[in-house]
Amino acid sequence: MAASALGWALRAARQVSPAPSLPSRSYYVDWRMLRDVKRRKLAYEYADERLRINAIRKNTILPKELQEVADKEIADLPRDSCPVRIRNRCVLTSRPRGVKRRWRLSRIVFRHFADHAQMSGIQRAMW
Amino acid sequence: TSSVLSTKKDESTASKDSTTEVASKSQESTAETPKQKLLDIIGNMKVEVSYRKKLQQLKTREIKKQATNKLEVPDSKGSMLQKTTEDTQRGKPLSPELVEAASAVASFLPLNKKQTESELIAQLRRHEETTDKQKKGGTINIRNVISEMAVKRQSPAQRGVRISNRISLELDEDGQRIKPERLSPQSFDSKRSLKVGRRLNIFTKASTGTENALKTVSSPTIWDLEFAKEIAAITAQPPRNGFEEMIQWTKEGILWEFPIDNEAGMEDDAEFHEHIFLEKHLEDFPKQGPIRHFMELVICGLSKNPYLSVKQKIEHIEWFQKYFEEKKELLREI
Repeated sequence: MAASALGWALRAARQVSPAPSLPSRSYYVDWRMLRDVKRRKLAYEYADERLRINAIRKNTILPKELQEVADKEIADLPRDSCPVRIRNRCVLTSRPRGVKRRWRLSRIVFRHFADHAQMSGIQRAMW
Repeated sequence: TSSVLSTKKDESTASKDSTTEVASKSQESTAETPKQKLLDIIGNMKVEVSYRKKLQQLKTREIKKQATNKLEVPDSKGSMLQKTTEDTQRGKPLSPELVEAASAVASFLPLNKKQTESELIAQLRRHEETTDKQKKGGTINIRNVISEMAVKRQSPAQRGVRISNRISLELDEDGQRIKPERLSPQSFDSKRSLKVGRRLNIFTKASTGTENALKTVSSPTIWDLEFAKEIAAITAQPPRNGFEEMIQWTKEGILWEFPIDNEAGMEDDAEFHEHIFLEKHLEDFPKQGPIRHFMELVICGLSKNPYLSVKQKIEHIEWFQKYFEEKKELLREI
């Protein structure tokens, strides 16, 4: 726990972001976060194609041979382009589990900020 | 006055230089006409952005040439008949050669041609006047000029105040230095004021009409744009407080504009019928068969989709078109 709490204070991995004309963050928390970022980018790029090829595949009207060809095509796309591989990690600590979707934060970081009154509209529950 | 002084100094130094160069110059100048010389000089000159340097170069060369011409006339009159006639031409109206030279220089420079030409010609005219004055008045004795100038004495107390005014070591709340405020709109209080004293009538009122006429001619050149960018970069100070930071973020696009409008960034100018009636895009498809059936279903789905723009929907249909065209041979086998 102490290690994870310290973990987000230290910066371990670095990655130069593309087109450094505007000043932007060049360090991600760790390599896993980096890979997740790459997957998200690729998934965004291939989203349309995947949708259309899937529309051909999951079909009862078109002939089956066409659907088989479409199966092969979608398998040929890069593996990181499928959205299933994306993991909603914590934005600050890159923790893969215990992440609340609304805030994109892990439970520990969320609790830390909420106790310091840095989360808008969050209050300790008492009933 | 400082500019006049500087030009006079240049001329005095130039005249001293030309006395040494007379012997060498006399041999060179017989071969070329001065017009060719001028044009050669202009042709060899490389284009620089700052045309003040160029003007000074031009002036000094003009001075040298004129000085050499004037010194050589008494030496050898027979071969220098051309020069004498040109000397007499250099009266109040500018010689056509100079005008030609000015136009050539203006054409080389990247800035606005007409403006630079007119400015160069104005410079040459002023130059002519000063040379005429010098011819008549003889050599300038700098000592006379300086003796007339009085040295302004600063009291040591005032000097200390002025130096301390420039650098302030006080720190603001944020840790930034307080700059000494400038008193430019106010008149200088201690001894002189701007508004007291009789008019010197040095400057004539510039007519605004000619300025406007000149400005309408030029369109923003690349250099103007770069200059504007430089100014913007220099004047952009870091934000002093949170409000200014938020303003900067809004300008960059990091922060949304409040009150939030849901259609920010979405500019769908198309009417509803372009969203719904998409059958006209289906013209390239076969009219019968499973593909047509499939595409009609696609269109039905697209017409109910409020999130895509018309362009995106058309792209969607075109993608399918391409896809089926590629698979045509496969489809014929079936």
